[in-house]
Amino acid sequence: MPTAILGPYTRTILTGAVIIGLLLFSFTYARVSVWIDVQPFFEWMETTWFGVIGKTWGAAFAVIEAIHLIGLALLGGSVIVGEGRILGFVFTDVPARTIIDRAHKVFFWALMTLLATGIFMACGVAMKIYYLPVYWYKMLALGAGILFHFCIRKPLLQRELEKINPWVTKAVAISSLMIWFTVAATGRWIGFSG
Amino acid sequence: MLNELVYNFAVWLDDTRWSAMLHESYYMYNWVESTHVLTLMVSLGMLFLIDLRMLGYALPDVPASKIAERLSIPMLVGFTIMFITGISLFYAVPVRSAQSVWFRTKMVLLVVCAVNAYLFHNRMNESVSSWDNDARAPSRIRLGAGLSLGFWTIVVICGRFIAYDWFDCDYEQSAFIEFFAGCVDGQERF
Repeated sequence: MPTAILGPYTRTILTGAVIIGLLLFSFTYARVSVWIDVQPFFEWMETTWFGVIGKTWGAAFAVIEAIHLIGLALLGGSVIVGEGRILGFVFTDVPARTIIDRAHKVFFWALMTLLATGIFMACGVAMKIYYLPVYWYKMLALGAGILFHFCIRKPLLQRELEKINPWVTKAVAISSLMIWFTVAATGRWIGFSG
Repeated sequence: MLNELVYNFAVWLDDTRWSAMLHESYYMYNWVESTHVLTLMVSLGMLFLIDLRMLGYALPDVPASKIAERLSIPMLVGFTIMFITGISLFYAVPVRSAQSVWFRTKMVLLVVCAVNAYLFHNRMNESVSSWDNDARAPSRIRLGAGLSLGFWTIVVICGRFIAYDWFDCDYEQSAFIEFFAGCVDGQERF
């Protein structure tokens, strides 16, 4: 059993292995055959209601994109507050548990908003983003961010914070800030490409 | 006459060397615009957390005054950066920006947001001691927070719409749009 071999950090190690595996896969030629295989899916995306609305009415696409930015602002705010508390920058006189748990709620709904609006926008420009390398970088970063947040950070921080090595929590906080900034930056980069 | 003044000022800015350099730069314009957009996470992120706290949807266990006080500094730092990058973006493309209905609406809304923030801040300071630990602020404060969320959402939407040329002066427009956008008869620069 993996737990018996890997000990109490089974989920962290397995998640790390999945993320590293995804990164390694993305640098091999195997990704090309997968990329070719998903082309019909992207072609189908453009034929959906989201795709038709996004392509037909630029205003609708722009409004959804603006809501995507609002979600980004909220996600960024919740990450800054949550990780800032762990790093000791903000709300140091408020229990860390309170800030972490409450910030996570905002993070969750911001992420749902980003995913919903992101799917809409992707349908509207599916074949364009299919050929954009930076879109795939963003999906990699997003996948890594979601896996990291829900499979490493959240389980770790659900324990008693006083019993966790402070360097571990700080490393997790800094990693979280870097991952979500990368997601935001690659998202902005998409706008400059193609 | 005001529209002509604005147009002439924008043309003067457009004729400056730095405006052309910024507009035509391969990397600099993109860096400035990316900074403007990504700093949303700091400025609007903090602002939205404050507003959502007043509405009772975020961090209800933390005293409202503490949220407003602690998050206002990063919020203002973020807004300062956005203000500087925003001026730079305007300076890079001054004529089109000055004659954009979306840009003009955005500027008006920014003033409205500032007034709303001032009134909200005053109202909060007058009464916060009585409701600081409540999960939801009183109705007047919640109104200010709700208006803030709404206005800022429209600011972001208008900012996004600036890129679209539906109401640009170099196309045929209605008299109302021509007036609102500040189109000048016989203008040669767009």
